[in-house]
Amino acid sequence: MNMASAGQQGQYDATAGDENSTEDPTVIFPGGRAKNSDAMYAITRIRGQQMSDARQQAGKPKPPIHIGAVKGLLAVVILFLACLAAFSSRLFAVIRFESIIHEFDPWFNYRSTHYLVTHGFYNFLNWFDERAWSPLGRIVGGTVYPGLMVTSGAIYNILHSLNIPIHIRDVCVFLAPLFSGLTALAAYGLTTELWDASAGLLAACFIAIVPGYISRSVAGSYDNEGIAIFALLFTYYLWIKAVKTGSIAWASATALLYFYMVSAWGGYVFIINLIPLHVCVLLLMGRFSNRVYVAFCTFYILGTLMSMQIPFVGFQPVRTSEHMAAAGTFVLLQAFAFLRYIQDFLTKQEFRSLFFFGVLGTAGITFMGVVFLTYAGYVAPWSGRFYSLYDTGYAKIHIPIIASVSEHQPTTWVSFFFDLHILVCTFPAGLWFVIKDINDERVFIALYALSAVYFAGVMVRLMLTLTPVVCILAAIAISKTLNEYLVDELPKKSLTGEEEEEEEEEDADRKNRKYYDKAGKVRRIKTDKGKDDEGMGGNLKGFVVVAIIMTLMLFSVHCTWVTSNAYSSPSIVLASHNQDGSRVILDDFREAYYWLRKNTDDHARVMSWWDYGYQIAGMGNKTTLVDNNTWNNSHIALVGKAMSSNETAAYKIMRDLSVDYVLVIFGGVIGYSGDDINKFLWMVRIAEGEHPRDIKESNYFTPNGEFRVDKAGSPTLHNCLMYKMCYYRFGELQLDFRSPAGFDRTRGVEIGKKDISFEHLEEAYTTEHWLVRVYKVKPLSNRVPSQNLLKRKAGVKKYVSKKTSKKRRGSIKNKPAVKRGKRTRGGGKVNKRI
Amino acid sequence: MERVYAMPFTVLECPHLKLKKPSWFHAPSAMTVYFFVLASYFLVTGGVIYDVIVEPPSVGSTTDENGHQKPVAFMPYRVNGQYIMEGLASSFLFTIGGLGFVVLDKSNSNVMPKLNRFLLLLVGFLCILTSFFMCRVFMRMKLPGYLQG
Repeated sequence: MNMASAGQQGQYDATAGDENSTEDPTVIFPGGRAKNSDAMYAITRIRGQQMSDARQQAGKPKPPIHIGAVKGLLAVVILFLACLAAFSSRLFAVIRFESIIHEFDPWFNYRSTHYLVTHGFYNFLNWFDERAWSPLGRIVGGTVYPGLMVTSGAIYNILHSLNIPIHIRDVCVFLAPLFSGLTALAAYGLTTELWDASAGLLAACFIAIVPGYISRSVAGSYDNEGIAIFALLFTYYLWIKAVKTGSIAWASATALLYFYMVSAWGGYVFIINLIPLHVCVLLLMGRFSNRVYVAFCTFYILGTLMSMQIPFVGFQPVRTSEHMAAAGTFVLLQAFAFLRYIQDFLTKQEFRSLFFFGVLGTAGITFMGVVFLTYAGYVAPWSGRFYSLYDTGYAKIHIPIIASVSEHQPTTWVSFFFDLHILVCTFPAGLWFVIKDINDERVFIALYALSAVYFAGVMVRLMLTLTPVVCILAAIAISKTLNEYLVDELPKKSLTGEEEEEEEEEDADRKNRKYYDKAGKVRRIKTDKGKDDEGMGGNLKGFVVVAIIMTLMLFSVHCTWVTSNAYSSPSIVLASHNQDGSRVILDDFREAYYWLRKNTDDHARVMSWWDYGYQIAGMGNKTTLVDNNTWNNSHIALVGKAMSSNETAAYKIMRDLSVDYVLVIFGGVIGYSGDDINKFLWMVRIAEGEHPRDIKESNYFTPNGEFRVDKAGSPTLHNCLMYKMCYYRFGELQLDFRSPAGFDRTRGVEIGKKDISFEHLEEAYTTEHWLVRVYKVKPLSNRVPSQNLLKRKAGVKKYVSKKTSKKRRGSIKNKPAVKRGKRTRGGGKVNKRI
Repeated sequence: MERVYAMPFTVLECPHLKLKKPSWFHAPSAMTVYFFVLASYFLVTGGVIYDVIVEPPSVGSTTDENGHQKPVAFMPYRVNGQYIMEGLASSFLFTIGGLGFVVLDKSNSNVMPKLNRFLLLLVGFLCILTSFFMCRVFMRMKLPGYLQG
């Protein structure tokens, strides 16, 4: 507890210091404006007025401080602090609990990283995991994005070659915080390209602590997103560079980082759609240039070729609809560039008609071509996961397995505020500044902002892609506002004409133009007049600055609070607080998995709902039927059917799948809400999707359409396997004296059926707080000896005699034919007897 | 080379078409674009997509101890759930906050009487502060333990 609070305190300090330090560059910025002039001029700007005056009076030649160096040093220090804050604010979980892998998917990533490190890269690519999706198995090398595992494997190997003996688990745990520091650097680079360096520093600080990104990258949440956001931002940074310079080198670097992104996360599809969109919009706006052409063609060709090297991606870049936008843009760009080339050789009249029809024709042909190829089956149509982003109701109706995941739910306003806080307000302002002074690269950030906002609205999970752009735009807005309100006063009093010129040079082109207008000069006179009774305006400006700084401080408080309270739970180890404030650790999950690991046969198969598949494989080292890689819907539906049928039917399914153990999560004792009973309706729905004749969702509801586990619940529910396994012997348990026996704390009701007995299963293990219950599937029971022997004859009677009514003499079936006149021993007697 | 380019035109004759852009069609101005962007931002942050898919009621209701029906504006304790009105109210605040920054920037424009400048500054300032503190109040209503402990 002490440690935790100490960490928290340190966190507050770190972030607060961060926010303050970001103001520094804006303070010294007037100094930066004098960059082009002598160093002598420059110094007067950094220090206060007095000091410089004193020095000038002394007439001593000052040691030349290079202003660029000071700015560079400040930038480095601030970026370093931002990285430090990013790293340390993600360590809550490690300090409070231990260095442990979190949640579900990270366990698989950890397991395969472990495999990669112990068996080598090529064995990893060829790894056939027979412990997953039993009896089907899974070709792991061909169905993962290996970037994450390779990254941490490389770090592990480098550290070991330096004789630093670190366990691979610790590399995995601390990988995401490490990469979030790098993300801050990438955000700095991107914002600097888009706006200026001070906004870049602010953006780096924002993205270091913003909860929307922390939610996916706390220490221990070893998942693809942790490194993918870095790759995403860095790819965009390089793309902007490539568009700005038009150099093949930058474009190739973009493709290289794109390759890293492809190897890391399925979200690479966002890049391969956004960059073509950027190019298309630039074409439409008439901003086409050779720089764009070179950048996009290099990027597309190299990027596509490289992305096809990832086994999991394979031929998708040329075979699926998600990538067709890029291919179409590529073709369109070629046609456009070709027509521009022809322009030199044709008269204007000829060219105009040719151009118009050429571009229109190419666009039309490309589109029709894609449609035709899709129709003919050469190009796969949109997969359900992507389709559900456009038709938002699609997943709810057609793919229950996607809709069942809580992070695929549509976003509410709370999530926006929770994950972004003040940035959600400043984001539109940043967008305004960007749209007001648009240029090639700002078109890109505007498009990114728009698409990301929409996608974040559709799925909570995609909040992650929105977060960086929000940080960047908010940093631009705040930096611009602060520049105006913090800086303006000081220099203007002493500005000479020459320095004014420099100031204008530093500003955007728009302002520059205005300076030479008459209006600009008029303005200058006016403000100078206003300087005399500056008092009120100056005070108000001070208020604005103070208010902005205060909101930023509250922002960092909010970030720390959210990180510590909402996003730092490992969800494998649960913690609760007693009435006296002491902390209780509930370690039931690991208890159960450890039991499975030690006490069951090595090849035992464990059936559970798919959420726990990776954990059982990772911690229990046992074979599972279904896991979080939900690639086979019918297999999951089969498990769902077993869970929601009655015991006899379930036993049949379990025998077919040769299940040895069944594992359920039951939170009724401690009030854990994410248990299997609360997930049960999804099991029913998914099972109903595949087996509509056997499972009906309506059977599990009361006549009023409620899902209840108490006495009023439907009898189908009371008899299904999941209900029985969760509540077996729970009726005997009285938790406290105020509630009756069998009181379910999660649902807040007394359960409806207390005398549960099993025929084909037996309880194998139940953890301390009943969180995990494991059942053993009994082998087929011995045949019960028949009581009534006559019963067998009833079966014989079915034999229908073929004899006609004439010769209705008895005969024995299958009796060898007896020829008359020949004696056989005993044969005749038998004949006679009948 | 010249001939290669001229080749199509030996066969084809350039049609004497007068293709004009329709007069009403021109690239939208930055402000029009921004208006649409802001409107869609307002809708998305208000969770309109959530409203369409999940179809929650516009305002919830509870029964108090006397058995009277009482309207409840906020769905408490649930980060992943909302009523329609609360979403719209808070996204209105977000948008106001954003506009506050824009107004602050506007107040710095070149030619402007002092009073106007002062008023704009005040309005922008108030917008930002109102939106920020109201958002915090909303958050407290939504998650009563917000920023405590």
